[in-house]
Amino acid sequence: MARIKIDHNKCTGCRHCEIACSFNHVAGVANPRRARIRVFREGATYFPTIAGPFVDAACTSKNDLIIGDQTYDMCLICRASCPEKPFFIEAETDFPLKCDFCGIPPSPSCVRWCNSGALELVED
Amino acid sequence: MHGWIGRCLRVNLTKNDFKLEEIPQELMDKFLGGRGLGVKILYDEIDPTVNPLSPDNKLIFVSGPLVGTGAVTGASCNVVTKSALSGTIACAKLRGHFGAELKYSGLDMIIVEGKAEFPVIISIMDDKIVIKPALEYWGRTTSETENMFKSSLSDKWAARDTYLLSIGPAGEKLVPLANIINDGFLSVGGAGIGAVMGSKNLKAIAVKGNHSVTVADGNRFVQVVTTLINKLNSAPLISQSMSSWGSAFLVGLCNQKGILPFKNFQSSSFEESKHIGTEALSSAFVLRSRGCFACPIACIKKVDVDNRFYKGKGMAPTYMAIGALGLNCGITDLTNIGIANMICGEMGLDPIAAGGTIATAMELEEKGLLTKDSLKLDFRFGNGEDLIQALTLMATKKGYARRIGQGAKALAEEYGHPELFMGVKSIPLAPFDPRSLQGMGLHFVTSNYGPHHLYAYTFIDEVLSVHEKLDPWTTEGKPEFVKRLQDITAVVDSLGLCNWSLMGLKFNNFIPMINSCLGTSYKAEDLLQTGERIWNLERQFNMRAGFNRSHDILPERFYNEPIEDGPAKGQISRADEMLNDYYKLRGWDEEGRPGNELSESL
Ligand code: SF4
Ligand code: SF4
Ligand code: SF4
Repeated sequence: MARIKIDHNKCTGCRHCEIACSFNHVAGVANPRRARIRVFREGATYFPTIAGPFVDAACTSKNDLIIGDQTYDMCLICRASCPEKPFFIEAETDFPLKCDFCGIPPSPSCVRWCNSGALELVED
Repeated sequence: MHGWIGRCLRVNLTKNDFKLEEIPQELMDKFLGGRGLGVKILYDEIDPTVNPLSPDNKLIFVSGPLVGTGAVTGASCNVVTKSALSGTIACAKLRGHFGAELKYSGLDMIIVEGKAEFPVIISIMDDKIVIKPALEYWGRTTSETENMFKSSLSDKWAARDTYLLSIGPAGEKLVPLANIINDGFLSVGGAGIGAVMGSKNLKAIAVKGNHSVTVADGNRFVQVVTTLINKLNSAPLISQSMSSWGSAFLVGLCNQKGILPFKNFQSSSFEESKHIGTEALSSAFVLRSRGCFACPIACIKKVDVDNRFYKGKGMAPTYMAIGALGLNCGITDLTNIGIANMICGEMGLDPIAAGGTIATAMELEEKGLLTKDSLKLDFRFGNGEDLIQALTLMATKKGYARRIGQGAKALAEEYGHPELFMGVKSIPLAPFDPRSLQGMGLHFVTSNYGPHHLYAYTFIDEVLSVHEKLDPWTTEGKPEFVKRLQDITAVVDSLGLCNWSLMGLKFNNFIPMINSCLGTSYKAEDLLQTGERIWNLERQFNMRAGFNRSHDILPERFYNEPIEDGPAKGQISRADEMLNDYYKLRGWDEEGRPGNELSESL
């Protein structure tokens, strides 16, 4: 099965993926808040995060994430379109956004516009 | 309306008041947006002879129509005002994410007028516009300002989508060398603008919004952008050089061509370029690539520094920093240059203007014209600590540094040697020797914004031969070339694209992207005509501000002292010889005045 591999070390924070996704879902409209992928900065690192479904259970086992000497809030990179975090809830419609793995073949829109190689389509 | 939002926010700080205005379609057609629109508004609304630091001067922040659309490198927001350093028109280019977020907040432009009674921040958050008192921010560095503002927001998620531009202590203290900083990026060509913002008591502007930007033909636009990303990726100058090193990769190249200035332009070759080349850069710093909004190039390199002068994150030195703050001050230690560059970012100083001032002080001292007593600071060529100390003091106007903060020209004049000022229209030259790059020399003297390379990057053809192969030493064909590139740059700036994209793409490559975005059917010539119109309007502004042919000149050194050694040995600048031809091509008279016909067509 194909899936998108994210390498946050390569991400430059350009947010071209957000716009690609936005265009893919509403023709001719560029709006990062309608994208199903968002890029969050924490300290010196960018985390591209792809929206997924929200299930209550996800939050019951919330842990801190430690990478190197930095501690990150799990909520930040959690992909759930959850009511606590407004990023994957469309502002105008309150619609929970979810990646629908668009555009294969040849490849999803966000991957196509990501020039740094942070997003990559891989076959499992 | 596509690309455009069509709305502008006008803030009057004296009255503590604001209103939203529509932008007339006619203005957008004629001036495109960004720089072009900002220039038009400034030209129409202020008296060009106004004191730049008075409440009558205006500050215009304006994003181009392609910004925020996902157009490749469409990130740039321009800041247009009358410069406190030169007295000419000024137009800074802000990179990063501010410009795009301005569009998402539902605005193309913010016009700031008057002067606030006390320090304020203009906050535009989800359509709520507030002029906030900001006393506690005054005196803070630019990164402190950004962090303080974000942590003052009750919604921590909203803080992540908020973008800021601000001035540092230098702008607050009205140092004419002050610049504007956004998202931790130094703006380009911002000398003289930070002080204008400071004079209005405006510390920062914060933006966040949920508005959409639409494009006319979505499918075609997505196709064209995809093609351009791939094109950029297959241009070796971009994918192998700019993306890996940022503009710092030019250092070695310029050194080989005898273009890099050394010690206040006293010489133009530097033997040990391996100390300052890309290898040295990667051993001095761990580089992380950062892209401005929608930029596949990602030329900005961020680094962490932790030593006794400086602790924190900052930008790795670019070509400009290495040239202006480093070699031109005789300094070859990349760590010191990097720290100096970060101090500029934190304090809000322009690296070219500040570096040029210190280089002038250093030459004065070398020639024994400046004793330690007179400025109470050391200025020794090659001494990084002198540089770092001077920058910090200059930004805070502490003690004797108050005087060097007035800029290179004022300093050279104060000590009776105006000929040691290496600049045009009171602005120090960007680090390219005009003797070994004739086109750049002509651009330096004629540029409406002073001698800054990013208003016509002649280097891309005179050295890199990207679009055509030109001999850097000849004057033949250069007036046409310089004019064309100046006009192209005016268009690129006005649309909100980054100048570096021209290193991998031809101007024609942009046309389908522009048309599918805006729903227009422009041809290259139409756009070049618009570029020319913008250039003429800027010239007209400067003429009315009191500038004329006598200001279109390089320092004597470049006409009279041939380059002493190195690859460009014996070269002098012949910018003066090309001036008449250039004026003629522009349709100006011998004094460099745009004729009546031209003025009317504006
Ligand atoms: S795969 Fe498609 S829907 Fe999913 S984040 Fe990428 S662009 Fe958006
Ligand atoms: S397009 Fe790629 S590099 Fe740019 S922000 Fe998205 S994931 Fe990061
Ligand atoms: S090329 Fe560099 S400066 Fe230009 S938009 Fe891209 S990252 Fe920003």
